[in-house]
Amino acid sequence: MSVLPFPSFLDDVKEKGLKKAVFELVDESVERLTAGMNVQDIREALRGEPASRKPNPRLQPHADGFWLHMRPGYFHSDMTGLYPTFRLGWLSTYLVFFETITGILLMVWYTPSPEVAYSDMLNILGNVPMGQLVRDLHRLGAEAMVLIVALHMVRTFFTGSYKKPRQFTWFTGLILLAITGFLSFSGYLLPWDQLALWAVTIGASMIEATPPQIVGDNLNLLIRGGPEIAANGLLRFYLLHVLLLPALLFVFTGVHYYKVIVHGHSLPPRKENIGEDTAKRVPLDKRVYFIPDVLTSEIMWLGVTTLILVVLCIWFYDAPLEHHADPQVTPLGTTAPWYFLWIQGALKLGDKVFWGIIFPGLILGLLAVWPYLDVTVSRRYADRRFAITFFLSIISFVTILSYMGLAEFGVRTSPDVEIFHEMTFPPAHNHVGKLLPVPYEQLVAGVYSTRQTSASPEDAEAAIGAFNAEIEQQMVPDPLVAGSTITLEERVKRDLEVQHLPLPSGLTFRTVPSDAPELLQQLQYFGDRLLAANNELYNAWGAIIISQNQDNLKRIDLVISWDEVKVENGEPVVGADGKPVLVLDVNGNPMRRVSTAHVFVHKDAAYFSH
Amino acid sequence: MFERMLVGRIENRVTIGVLAFVGMMVLLGWAAINEGGRMQAFTKMEEARSIEQGAALFSINCSRCHGTDGRGLAGFGPGLNSPQFFGYDFFPEITKQINDLSAEKVGLNAEKSLSATTPERKTAIDARLVEIDTQIAELATQRNGQITAAVDNGYDPQRPIRLNNLGWVGTQEALIVTTLIHGRPTSINYWPNGAMPAWSQTAGGPLRMDQIQDLARYVQNWNKGDAWTLDDLFAVKQFAKEPVDGAPLMALIEQLQASGGVIPEPVGTDITAVIEQVASVTGDPVRGDQLYHNQVQSQLGQALACNGCHQQDVNGTGPMTKGTFFRVQNERVNDPLLKDYTPEHYLLESILMPGNYLVPGFQNAMLPNFGERITLQDLADLIAYIKTMDTP
Repeated sequence: MSVLPFPSFLDDVKEKGLKKAVFELVDESVERLTAGMNVQDIREALRGEPASRKPNPRLQPHADGFWLHMRPGYFHSDMTGLYPTFRLGWLSTYLVFFETITGILLMVWYTPSPEVAYSDMLNILGNVPMGQLVRDLHRLGAEAMVLIVALHMVRTFFTGSYKKPRQFTWFTGLILLAITGFLSFSGYLLPWDQLALWAVTIGASMIEATPPQIVGDNLNLLIRGGPEIAANGLLRFYLLHVLLLPALLFVFTGVHYYKVIVHGHSLPPRKENIGEDTAKRVPLDKRVYFIPDVLTSEIMWLGVTTLILVVLCIWFYDAPLEHHADPQVTPLGTTAPWYFLWIQGALKLGDKVFWGIIFPGLILGLLAVWPYLDVTVSRRYADRRFAITFFLSIISFVTILSYMGLAEFGVRTSPDVEIFHEMTFPPAHNHVGKLLPVPYEQLVAGVYSTRQTSASPEDAEAAIGAFNAEIEQQMVPDPLVAGSTITLEERVKRDLEVQHLPLPSGLTFRTVPSDAPELLQQLQYFGDRLLAANNELYNAWGAIIISQNQDNLKRIDLVISWDEVKVENGEPVVGADGKPVLVLDVNGNPMRRVSTAHVFVHKDAAYFSH
Repeated sequence: MFERMLVGRIENRVTIGVLAFVGMMVLLGWAAINEGGRMQAFTKMEEARSIEQGAALFSINCSRCHGTDGRGLAGFGPGLNSPQFFGYDFFPEITKQINDLSAEKVGLNAEKSLSATTPERKTAIDARLVEIDTQIAELATQRNGQITAAVDNGYDPQRPIRLNNLGWVGTQEALIVTTLIHGRPTSINYWPNGAMPAWSQTAGGPLRMDQIQDLARYVQNWNKGDAWTLDDLFAVKQFAKEPVDGAPLMALIEQLQASGGVIPEPVGTDITAVIEQVASVTGDPVRGDQLYHNQVQSQLGQALACNGCHQQDVNGTGPMTKGTFFRVQNERVNDPLLKDYTPEHYLLESILMPGNYLVPGFQNAMLPNFGERITLQDLADLIAYIKTMDTP
């Protein structure tokens, strides 16, 4: 006779007592949820004891449950250690989910439109609690994912794990590498800052080189959504980033992992005889069961890896955000994202089509078909001298090309522009122009010259006095009136006025006050840079002019003046006496050049120093 | 090896895993506690850098008219680094007293015009009105004497708040942003060096919205709140101008009201009626000359500037001024289309309805609104002046 008009839990309570009935209910629920393991089974597993009942309940979730049906019930103990996998495949998968979760969080606050994308970033950073952390995590995770997926490929190559029967696994892995690269690249544009716009512009211009021209032009149009990247292009990159590429990534991750399981994880080359593939035949004493060993290990690594990422993002890493994207202003030293630097470097070798499209295509194509070309049986390192040498050569070549892709290599800018840039560039890649981090109070209004730094501290006053006299007397050609001359001071003043710098009290140089040591230090740096560039900026001096623009805003003007030297093929011509050859005007006098730049610094701008 | 030693045992893995998760939670909690301060610091920094960007944009784009120090340039652009722009009143007491007196004056005038008002009361009101005027004049003198330089420069201390003068009901930031977006269409009559163009790409200008925002922040960064000094006022090189100087017109209206006269009315465009009316008015060619050349305004306070298109000795947008009447007499009215037209009829119709007949070779470029901008007297004066242009 049941308590209620129908059978219920209360009947159990009546029959067995409350405590026992509840325990049984819990036990039953747990067993249903885990698809086979009850509380006692879990307790035993976590204690490292063998299962106390048969059939082994720890294999039941693999057989009956959805989540574990794709994981093997046990692994070979030779491949559960750090070597040979280095956990790289697991880490890649981890990052796929990590990026998906952080990415979805960011999507909540992001609109893919040039009008609001950048202010959305500012909002995420300044108005969304934990917004900066999530963005940092997503960005760091993305960079790490590219690196780890690439390392995963390198590892697979060295252990020969791509060999029969795993050729296709390797192939899907290469597709995943490409998808990862494009995912990271498409995400680059979304903040709509200068870094994004120009890195992507460079990347997209490589696509433009695809032959024949009609294909390249249309591919370029297709991806950019117009001749220049604008609203359409941003939307396309966004959709690529959040829909198409992740969808492809999930599909190929599925295929890739399925193949891994079907063929079994390949063992270290030494652990099996040449030509043997024993991954699927694991002796009983070599079995490491997923439950509990691999599962606890994975959950532990989940915690440890996430902790590491959180620690890095809280203390050591900030995702870069530069100024708002501006198609009119090309920043000096623009490069593609680091994982595409090798293509940018290759482009400096010559033909855009060959080095930009065919060469990378060849490398990727060769890697894709490599398992089908390299049909040797042995996976042992000693038997694969050629393959390993070949692969190391590719790695070295790509590394060298990546270095060549840097702006430092082979891109010459006029030295005055370069020095101005070094002194004043806005924060980029965790670096900032030398003058910006000088404490606001030390930016004392005044007109300072690098002549001070080339004299000893005691002679500084005298040197500046002499310098004032010098520029008042030195006559230089008047750029406005052919054939007539003006004083150098007048010339500099005019150039500054063109830059809208009011000079009510003229241009009288003075020494840096003693309570502004950091300003003096940067003036010193300025002077040293000019000295180092003496071959091109011959007989040069520099000036730093600081003026109060608003109550909490200062304006810093930089001036470099030098004698113009002859330049051939981008290099200054040096005469027999070891001095550069000067350019002379009709009267045989050196051509004095003046170049200026300026920047504003607000009291609260909080530029960091690196 | 390291791994096997450390995490080979399940209890070590469980411990490390639990520690990692707990550590992460503690860290995230710690970060969450600090978020408020971090976000504030970021916003402050971001605003500061936005002002820097704005400063660079201002220097390139705006300083030519508004001055490198934002204090304006005479004839080019008004000062933005100005107490008037930010609505700071140096003499709030006096402003209030004058406003109260003016309000009283309006009330008394209204009372005076009521039929129920007794003659004795009217006399008392007149006496009080004189008293009020004297008081206002005294207060104004007392105040303006301290800021003569600024007043001479066009500063109206009685109307110190730019936003109010414009009738702007939004925030100051909104005014700056709106003005930057659309520019400020204006007349060369009071900004002879041209109008402020639209700056936003939305309105055909060069700047993006974020740059407009940077500029607005930079301009607002001049606001000193309550710390404005008279020196700041004197440093302003150009004060804001308002489209119509209503004072002379109001004086005229008051004068007419006082003398029992009528407020001038626009002449309208009913040509037949105007021909009849104008016959009874004597035109003054000298005033017509001044009207024509924009030296005086019409009785409706309008600048006509006929000479903007009708240049003296050479055909421009419109036929040249010289010989106008000669050509009307000898050429235009001989046109078969214009038979029955007297030269005067033709002239006034050409002014009021410029599209009706066109001199061959010229476009219909003249504004059709002169009927609304001039009075009968203005029309008569203009015709009188044009009639002096009777030699070829």
